Amino acid sequence: MNRRFWALAALVVVCACAELLAGRGLSPAVVWDVLGGGGDATERHVFFQLRLPRLLVALGAGACLGVAGLVLQSALRNPLAGPEVTGVTPGAVLGAVTATALGLAGWESPLAVVVAACAGGCAGAALLWLLAGRGRGDPEQTALHGVLVSAVLGGLTAMVLLVAPGELGSVVQWLVGTTEGRVWQHWHLLWPWALAWGAAAWLLAGPLTLLRCGDELATAAGLSTRRARTSALLCAVALTAGAVAAVGALGFVGLLVPHVAVAVFGSDLRVSLPGAALVGAAVVCGSDAAAQLLSRLLAAALDFGRLTLPVGALTTCLGAALLLVVVRRAPSRTF
Amino acid sequence: MPWQLPLLVSLVALASGCALTLGTPYVPLYQLPSALRDADATLAGIVVTELRVPRLVLALAAGACLGAAGLVLQEALRNPLAIPEMLGVSSGAAFGVAAPLVLAVSIPAAVQPLLAIGGAVLGGGLTLLAAGLGRSPSAVLLTGAAVAAALQAALLVLMVMADQLDLQLIYRYLLGSLSARTWDDVTGLWPWLLVAAPALVLCAPVLSVLRLGDEDAEALGVRAQRARLAALAIAIVLIAPVTAVCGPVAWVGFLAPHLARRLNPTADAVRWLPWSAAWGAVVVVVADIPARLALAPVETPVGAWTALLGVPAGVALLRSGHRRPAARRRAEGSDAVRSEPSDKGPSPETRGQGHEQESDEAAAAGEAR
Repeated sequence: MNRRFWALAALVVVCACAELLAGRGLSPAVVWDVLGGGGDATERHVFFQLRLPRLLVALGAGACLGVAGLVLQSALRNPLAGPEVTGVTPGAVLGAVTATALGLAGWESPLAVVVAACAGGCAGAALLWLLAGRGRGDPEQTALHGVLVSAVLGGLTAMVLLVAPGELGSVVQWLVGTTEGRVWQHWHLLWPWALAWGAAAWLLAGPLTLLRCGDELATAAGLSTRRARTSALLCAVALTAGAVAAVGALGFVGLLVPHVAVAVFGSDLRVSLPGAALVGAAVVCGSDAAAQLLSRLLAAALDFGRLTLPVGALTTCLGAALLLVVVRRAPSRTF
Repeated sequence: MPWQLPLLVSLVALASGCALTLGTPYVPLYQLPSALRDADATLAGIVVTELRVPRLVLALAAGACLGAAGLVLQEALRNPLAIPEMLGVSSGAAFGVAAPLVLAVSIPAAVQPLLAIGGAVLGGGLTLLAAGLGRSPSAVLLTGAAVAAALQAALLVLMVMADQLDLQLIYRYLLGSLSARTWDDVTGLWPWLLVAAPALVLCAPVLSVLRLGDEDAEALGVRAQRARLAALAIAIVLIAPVTAVCGPVAWVGFLAPHLARRLNPTADAVRWLPWSAAWGAVVVVVADIPARLALAPVETPVGAWTALLGVPAGVALLRSGHRRPAARRRAEGSDAVRSEPSDKGPSPETRGQGHEQESDEAAAAGEAR
């Protein structure tokens, strides 16, 4: 088990290095130079004010999404419950977009964005909870209702964007999820939030492991299932909202990272929760590095300077492919 | 139901009246005939004949196509949740249209539906290949959601690359909009309709046989897989040109067939097809009125309104499906075995060959209890 952690940590470090080297503008030699204390002012600025915060935000957001997904799937005992399909992510996007359009929040007041995203995420989750009837029936039915709820919330977001069309340009990057242009301010906002709720999730790891075994077993072991589930859901919504406010709606990370984490670390959440955080960080960071490399290559190949590939597009494609594998591998209807 | 036709006609008449009279300039109902007669002479005449009438016709045609296509898809896959949006068909078509716009490749207008069809085939084919044709409805649906998400991501990449003006255009188009469509758009739709309508008439009886299940259909002499593929091709031919002209108008393909089924529970696919097309037209025409007038100087896309109307309705239908399975099962029973009196309870065989979805739901309900 320990060896797996070390391997995963090494993977995260490799992804981080790739992320630091992948961007356009600085060649690897220059990066090495800057790390050794050299380089001119512009290079130092690019490295310390743009690349480093971008790396940290990607790592933090990935960890948040991974943990949130695992907490959600354990609390609802539903392998298809990711933040994307339970209405949490679309709700958070709607909240943030609405707050921005109403002028209540903006890039100069990032805390308001986080609060609005959190409120929206809670509203989305509550809507699903109301519709699907306490969220515990059939996993597929819940997922289906989640898709419907996401469609409603997406429609509402579209309406808001049409009423305030000026925001569209700044918001569209955020609908797909990107780490472009994240600076230290975003990181300073993300880490206390992620740390606090991550700690809460860690404290809930024991009860959540019991919840995975089924309600009767958990009650027999002396757990108040209702309270544990509610606090776990709150925790998952808060983590997702933080990540959405920082980088936008990264598709499918929260749905599929937990599956990888459980496959690698087993279903004891005290072990696999940190594992999910590491996997999420590695996935988002690695995809960001890959997206930067790809957009550089594509721009060179197609001679098309405007082309930038947002990381959300890459994670969505990756996640869609993985989801196809999961759905195909499963027997006819149990996932 | 006897009151269905009057309801339909009065809804269409009311919505068309609103669509032709309301707005700026307001043309009172009694002035409409004169405005239509001297089209070029007055401002009201030009507005009505060049803007409002084509828009109304387009809304009717698009709604009818989407409604019929939704019914064909659902019957062919025997899946009450097979919606163009969920199968990646709409996203594929939208991708085919939006890509040349962003990449600044100029193409003639006649090629656009072909590109849309290419995209739709890509999206739908990918979903069905990945999911396998005979899989359970929810597996197909989840696969479709994955494919649609991937295509959405590709679209969003395009949107990130686009400049501000293109972005506004694409965003409006992607939500499904009927604004500023003229007679050119309507005439572009005709050839495709001419191809699709006879095909629909031919395939409707096959659909009602397919509903019995693959084995029974084979026993009756229908090559099930081939018929299914043909039905899907027809659905794509119906959806793609509409998407090319007015964008993916969401949820019409879901709402219209369900309305048709709910209002004629004892009919079969042949009877449902015209009703589904009619209800689709009604839904789009009715949704277009708030889209044009609700936030008056700003036009909102009609797709946003159909989504807002359609999803709650869909959820309500899904939920009432739990409570009233008896009516639907009876309908299926009378479908499958015509000679049996329809008030007889569902026999085990008819239940066995009914929707997998329903037995799933029943199983879920049993577990919940």
